[in-house]
Amino acid sequence: MTAIEDGRSKVENGHARIELRDASRWYGNVVAVNAITVSLQPGITGLLGPNGAGKSTVLHMIAGLLSPSAGQVLVDRQNAAGNPGIYAKVGLVPEREAVQPFLTGFEFVRMNAKLQHLANPDEAARKALALVDLTGAQDRKVGGYSKGMRQRAKIAGALVHEPAILLLDEPFNGMDPRQRLHMMELLRAMASKGCTVLISSHILEELNDLADSVLVMVAGRLAASGHFREIRKLMTNRPHTFTLKSSDDRKLAAELIGEPSVQSVDLANGGLAIRASDRGLFTRALPRRARAAGISVHELLPTDESLESVFNYLVQR
Amino acid sequence: MNGVINLTVAELTFRQLFTRKRLIASMLFALSPLLITLVFLATAHTQDPTGLQFLRELYSGIVAFVLLPLAAVIFGTAAFGGEIDDGTIVYLLVKDLPRWQLVLSKYLVAVISTFAMMFFAILLPWLALGASLESAPLFQAFTAGIGLGAALYSAIFVTLGMMSKRALVFGLIYVVVVEIALSPNVPGLKSFSVREFVMTVVGKIASAVPGVKAGAVTPNTVWTMGAIFLVASLGLGIRWLQRYEMAERL
Repeated sequence: MTAIEDGRSKVENGHARIELRDASRWYGNVVAVNAITVSLQPGITGLLGPNGAGKSTVLHMIAGLLSPSAGQVLVDRQNAAGNPGIYAKVGLVPEREAVQPFLTGFEFVRMNAKLQHLANPDEAARKALALVDLTGAQDRKVGGYSKGMRQRAKIAGALVHEPAILLLDEPFNGMDPRQRLHMMELLRAMASKGCTVLISSHILEELNDLADSVLVMVAGRLAASGHFREIRKLMTNRPHTFTLKSSDDRKLAAELIGEPSVQSVDLANGGLAIRASDRGLFTRALPRRARAAGISVHELLPTDESLESVFNYLVQR
Repeated sequence: MNGVINLTVAELTFRQLFTRKRLIASMLFALSPLLITLVFLATAHTQDPTGLQFLRELYSGIVAFVLLPLAAVIFGTAAFGGEIDDGTIVYLLVKDLPRWQLVLSKYLVAVISTFAMMFFAILLPWLALGASLESAPLFQAFTAGIGLGAALYSAIFVTLGMMSKRALVFGLIYVVVVEIALSPNVPGLKSFSVREFVMTVVGKIASAVPGVKAGAVTPNTVWTMGAIFLVASLGLGIRWLQRYEMAERL
């Protein structure tokens, strides 16, 4: 499911775990979130946007910590705001680092387990700490933890009750590469078991590898939603760029320049740099033209289909 | 989970209030009346052989007048204040826990902490003076008085701690201006002074002890105004937390 520009993502089959229906939030005259309609199902969704785009406000609303000024925010079909009942299904990892410094890691996670009314909070805490690889430091005070360790303790606290919905605001802050990989594996495993994971992150590379789909917010509006490659395909007003290597780059350039879908061809860096107005037309025309000219294509790489390119296009629109 | 209060929140609040520095400060606070008593025993004991007059002045002039409201300000404003400022309140808010229960749990801890500290502040001088039967009604009366004072002051200061980042400053201003400077001198304010409520309870219970005066307000005023203070303060606090939204970053 992908949509851009109309700011809407339609509800897929089955009931969505998280639904925003024309949800808006304003502070006085400032509109932080403007009429967003989106639904999220199990899997990992990335929430992207430049600073001030409204990402945190959306996460706050889904977490029930902010009520929408207009529209509805539903979690498991219930209004999120003012409804403590949803928290049995929701885990939240806030961006702010602060954790009660006088508690040990184990005590912090156990506190979360107790407040979730779990039957065996000690066992649940031990299990959650093992999941985030923090067992070795569980008896140290959180105040003495590194930033990455605090992040892992917060994640353990959020997933101690095995929530169906996990909301994470910049969860990889302060983690080293090994810890990030470990955390990504953990989130993938949770998503594969049916958990709906929503991650707000400014590090696009992380979400590039991790997210099944993304929500891109710009100036309080939902600019696009879906898988970023699908979003890119729908951006017909942006030329698609490729690099190409072949047995005869100069001859192939001459062939391609006559192709209607090709806007420009440059000879550069031992290959060709091509801008095409229509991805589908170009990728179908290329083999036909190359075969007719007796040229072998060795490599064709899209250069603007990364999440970062898609994000930049959407933000610059 | 635990009825009116949540034991996990209560335990967390206790640990929050009694960090090492605050624990040491509290002990010094609670021990200060004992130190004054020891000085009295070493110097002026002969002029007041039973120590009853000294104990009465110590309890009313130092404990009820100064230490009780200060202790309530310190514990009451810290019960919530720190968590709202640093954002750790979010870990309590995103749980299946009614917000009124959160307020009542923290309020109860503030009351117990204030009362415990003040109880030692009156117990130790009494023991040091020999714990005589003659002075027992005074001790009992002030125990009841500080119980009432802790309950009322804590309701005010816990709510203040939620609603303002400068709660400690405002609380101290309230104590110094209203309770210490104005209420003893402005008759109209006595019906709004927790200290006067405490002294009325003491006067009622220890009326037989020489020198103990009836309070400046009637017991009816104490119960009526006390109930209004308690319900209004906690009601305001609960209402405030129920409407509290985390508008800043999480």
